[in-house]
Amino acid sequence: MAFNFNWSPLTADAEFYKMAQQMLTTALNKSPKPPIIVDDILVNELNLGSVPPELEILEIGDLAEDRFRGIFKMCYSGDAFLTLKTRVQANPLNTYLFSKPSFTSPQPLAASSGLTIPLQITLSEIKMSAFIILVFSRQKGLTLVFRNDPLESLKVSSTFDSIPFVRDYLQREIEKQLRTLMMDELPAIIHRLSLRLWCPEYRAKEDAELAQAEKLEKEEVAVDPLASPPQDAVDARGNVLNANEISTLSLDGGGSEVHSLFSQKNLVRLAALTDSHRTLSLFTPSIRDAVFRAWASPSEKTETAGTSTPATPSLLRGSDDGHGHMPSRPSLVNLQSATTGLSLGAGRHSRSHMRKKKNRVVNLRKSKTTDDIASESGSEGASVAGSEPIISTRIPEEPEDNIITPPRSPSGRVRFRTSSIDLGDSPNKFRLSTPRSALSSKAVPEQVILDSTSTPTMEKDEPIIYSRTRRPSLKKAQSPPDKAPAIHLTPAPILSESLSGSGGIIEQAWVLKMAGEIARRAHDEKASREGFWSGSTDGREETPPPAYQAKDL
Amino acid sequence: MLEFMDYVQHSFYKASHWNSENSYSQLTATARELLEFDTPRGLRLNLSSLSSPNFATSYALGSVGLVDGALSYLYTSLPLFPVSQSGDIDLHDVIRGYRQIQELRKQEESWMWEEWQGGKRIDKRNTLFYGRLYLPQSTLEALYLRRLSPTQQLKLSAVSDSRLKNGGTILALHQYDTGKYSTETLYSTDGGLVGVRGLYNFGPDPRKGIIEPPRTEDRFYGRFSAGAEMYYGALNKSGGVSFGGRFATLPAHKGVPLTATLTLNPLMGNLSTTYAVKAGKNLALCSKFDFNVYSYESDLMLGCELWRMKAKAKKIQERSMAAKLEWRLDEVEKNPSPEPEEVTGVLKARVDQNWRIGLLWEGRIKELLFTLASSIDMNRPDQPFRAVGLEVQYSS
Repeated sequence: MAFNFNWSPLTADAEFYKMAQQMLTTALNKSPKPPIIVDDILVNELNLGSVPPELEILEIGDLAEDRFRGIFKMCYSGDAFLTLKTRVQANPLNTYLFSKPSFTSPQPLAASSGLTIPLQITLSEIKMSAFIILVFSRQKGLTLVFRNDPLESLKVSSTFDSIPFVRDYLQREIEKQLRTLMMDELPAIIHRLSLRLWCPEYRAKEDAELAQAEKLEKEEVAVDPLASPPQDAVDARGNVLNANEISTLSLDGGGSEVHSLFSQKNLVRLAALTDSHRTLSLFTPSIRDAVFRAWASPSEKTETAGTSTPATPSLLRGSDDGHGHMPSRPSLVNLQSATTGLSLGAGRHSRSHMRKKKNRVVNLRKSKTTDDIASESGSEGASVAGSEPIISTRIPEEPEDNIITPPRSPSGRVRFRTSSIDLGDSPNKFRLSTPRSALSSKAVPEQVILDSTSTPTMEKDEPIIYSRTRRPSLKKAQSPPDKAPAIHLTPAPILSESLSGSGGIIEQAWVLKMAGEIARRAHDEKASREGFWSGSTDGREETPPPAYQAKDL
Repeated sequence: MLEFMDYVQHSFYKASHWNSENSYSQLTATARELLEFDTPRGLRLNLSSLSSPNFATSYALGSVGLVDGALSYLYTSLPLFPVSQSGDIDLHDVIRGYRQIQELRKQEESWMWEEWQGGKRIDKRNTLFYGRLYLPQSTLEALYLRRLSPTQQLKLSAVSDSRLKNGGTILALHQYDTGKYSTETLYSTDGGLVGVRGLYNFGPDPRKGIIEPPRTEDRFYGRFSAGAEMYYGALNKSGGVSFGGRFATLPAHKGVPLTATLTLNPLMGNLSTTYAVKAGKNLALCSKFDFNVYSYESDLMLGCELWRMKAKAKKIQERSMAAKLEWRLDEVEKNPSPEPEEVTGVLKARVDQNWRIGLLWEGRIKELLFTLASSIDMNRPDQPFRAVGLEVQYSS
C-alpha cells in the first residue's frame, strides 16, 4: 500500500494562494489584537516553499474510496515563508494606558500621544513537528486536528530588528498568535477549503444561501411559498435537499412531497389552527413570526368602526364601505360599490384588517381572503376613472398585500358576484362583531340590539341614498378622503331623513349616535391635521385631481 | 456632565481652597471638555444623595446590552454644603465647557490652619474617602484624598479587579501648588511607573502679594503658562516626555476670551495645538490640530458648545394695592438686580476630519439632569449612528 502526496501542484496554484491569503487574513483579524497593533493585519505574501513536510503514518483507522481516517506524525523544516503587514503603536506609554482602568491612570497630557508605524513582518524558517489526526470523507470534507502544539520555532524578522526590545516583543507576540492560529483557526480553514473543493453540494448550498439572502431583500415578489425554499429543507427521509431539488418541486407537483419540505411541527400547528377555526375551539397554537388577527383585534375593531383617528385612507374605506355608517366619507369607491349594488359587508372588514398588518399574516381561511381580493379588485375594475386617486393612495400598500395573500385563483374572481352570500362561511364570531363594532363605539348593550335591527335596512337603503344625495355634492366630496372636515358634516341630515321611515326610536338613537360620531370625527380630523397629513392636505384641498373634474359632469 | 461624586469632590477642593486647575495635567482642559467629551452609551440612571454634610451616596444603574450598576459612598472630614438637589444645581457647576482660568490667589500660610486648645494642636487635616463598587464585574475603586498643608495634597487611588494583572493597581499622586508654580509626582504600581509634572505661571507672583491693577488697556490681558511632564516605567523600561504651553485671557480681559495651547512630544514627534474662543456669552468654539513629524499623520478636530438660556418671561408690572390706595404710582426700582439666567440646556458638538460626529445635549427636566448623546459616523452611510445614550441623574 502506498500513498502519493503531491506537494508541488498545491504550491503552484495561484488561486489557491490567493484564497489562502484571504482566509489567513480573516483568521488573523478575528481574535482581539494586542493594543500595540492598531490596524488590520494583512497577509502580504505567502509561499509554501518547495520542501514538503515529512509525514509518518502512525495509524490508519478507516480506509475506503471516499473516506479516510488516520494519525500522522509530521515534521516540517522547509522554506515556506509568510509576510504580514500591519501598523503598530510605537509609543509604549500609549499602549500602557490602553487597557488600564482610567481611575488609576496617571493621565499624561501629551506624553501618551501616538505614533503609528507601518510594520512588515516576515515569518520564515518555520519548524514544526506535530501529531496530526486526519479525517477525510467525501461528504464531510477534510478535518485536521493537531494533537499537540505544532510550532517548534520560527524566525521573525521585521522593520524593528535593530531594537532588541521590540524584536523580542514581536517574536513573543507572534508566536502566541500563531499558536492559536494553528490550534483553532487552521482546522476550520482547511475544513472549509476542502468542502469547497470536493463537495459541489456545499458550494451549491453556499451559492443558494447567498441567492436566498438576496431574495429575502426583495421578498415582495415572492408569492409562491415554494419560490423561497426553506433553508433547512429535508425530504421525507430527513435528508438535506439542495436548491436544485427544491426548484423541481411545485405546488401542484404532489402534496406529500411538498408537505415533507416543511417542518413537521409547524404543519401540526397549522393543522391545529385550522381545526380550531372549524370547531370554534378557543385553543390557538402559537406559531413563530406570525401575527394572528385575534391578537390585534381589539385595536383594529375600534378602527374599523371609525372611532379612532383614521390612520390610512384604506382603513377608513374598509370600515364604511359595507355599512355606510359614515356618511362623512366622501370617497368615490364608496359610491361605486353602492351603485354596482354590492354590499360587501364583512368581507370588507377583513380586508381592512389585513391592510393594517405590517407583518406576515397567517390566514388560513383561504376562501374568504380570495373573496376579499376578488371583490376588491372587482370594484376597482368597475370604477377605473372614479377611483383613480384612491388607487394612488393604496399603491404603497400593495406589496404587503402581495406577501400576505396566497396566489389569486381564478375561482375567487367567479365568486365575486356572490360575495354577499359568501359571508355565510365566514366564522360566526366575525359576523357578530362587525355590526357592533361598526355602529357603536361605546358598545352599549341597547345599541347593539338596535344595530342588529338597523343594519339590514341600512344596507338596503344605502345604494339609493348615497347615489342620489351625493351626486350633486360630488364636486365638494371629490377631494380625497379624510381631508375636509367641513364636508363631513353635510351628509348627516340626509341620512337621518332617509331613515325616518324605519322608526322613531331607532332614528333618534341613530341621529344622536351620528351627531356624536361626526363631532368626534371632526375633532379627530383637526388633530390629525396638525400631524402627519398636514402637508399633503394643504396641497390637495385647493385643486381636486383632474380625474375627478372630468367625471363630475 | 459631572457625576455627583465628582461634583462633591470638586466642592471639597473649593472648600479646602485647593486650586485643581493649576496643574500641568489641566493645561488643555478647555479643549478636552469641548472636543473629547464622553458620549454615554445606552441608558444610565444615577441616584445620589448628600445625606449629611459629610456623607454622600450614589447609585448607578446602566444598561448597555446587559444591566450593570455601581454603588458609591463618599465621606469627608470637612463638612460640605454644595447645592445637592438636582433641581437647584447651577448647570455651570456640573457641565464643563470653556474653562475660564482665574487670577492666582495667594495660598494660605500653614499657620493659618493651626488650631490650639490648651497648649495642644487640635487641628486635623481634611480628608476625603471615596469608594465605588461596580456590579456585576465586582470592580472596586477607592480614593483617599488628604490635604497635607495649604500647598500640598496627597491623592491615592486604587482599583481592585480580578482581571487586572496582580489583581489591581494603586496610583499615588502628590501635588504641590504655590500658585506661581505647581509640581506633581506620581507613582503607579502598574509597571512601576514614576512621573513628574510641573507647571510654571509667568507673570506676577501671588506669594509676594503685590496686587497690581490689571493692565486691561493691553490688547490681550492674560497669562502664559508653561510646563513639562516626564514618565518612566521602571518595569517595562519605557518612558514618555512632553512639553506644553498655554496662553489664556483672564476674566478682566475686555475682548473675546480665548485659550491657546501648544503641546509637544519630542520623543514621538507629536505636535498638538488647540485654540478655543468664547465667541459669545453662550457660545464657545474650539479647534485642535495634531501633527506628527515622523509619520506625517495629522488630525483636525472642531467643536462647539452652545448654551441655551430660558427665554425670560417679561414681568408685567402691576400697580400694587398699596399704591392704588394712596393714589400714586409705584416707585421705579433703581438698578434692578439682574435675575440669574436659567439654563435650559447645553449642546456640544464635535467633528473630526473622518466625519465622525459627536453630539451631546445636556440639561434639566424638572428635577432631573439628563445627558443625551449620540456619535455618528458619516463614513458609514448604512448605519451612521454608532451609539446613542441617555443618562439621567437625580440627586437630593
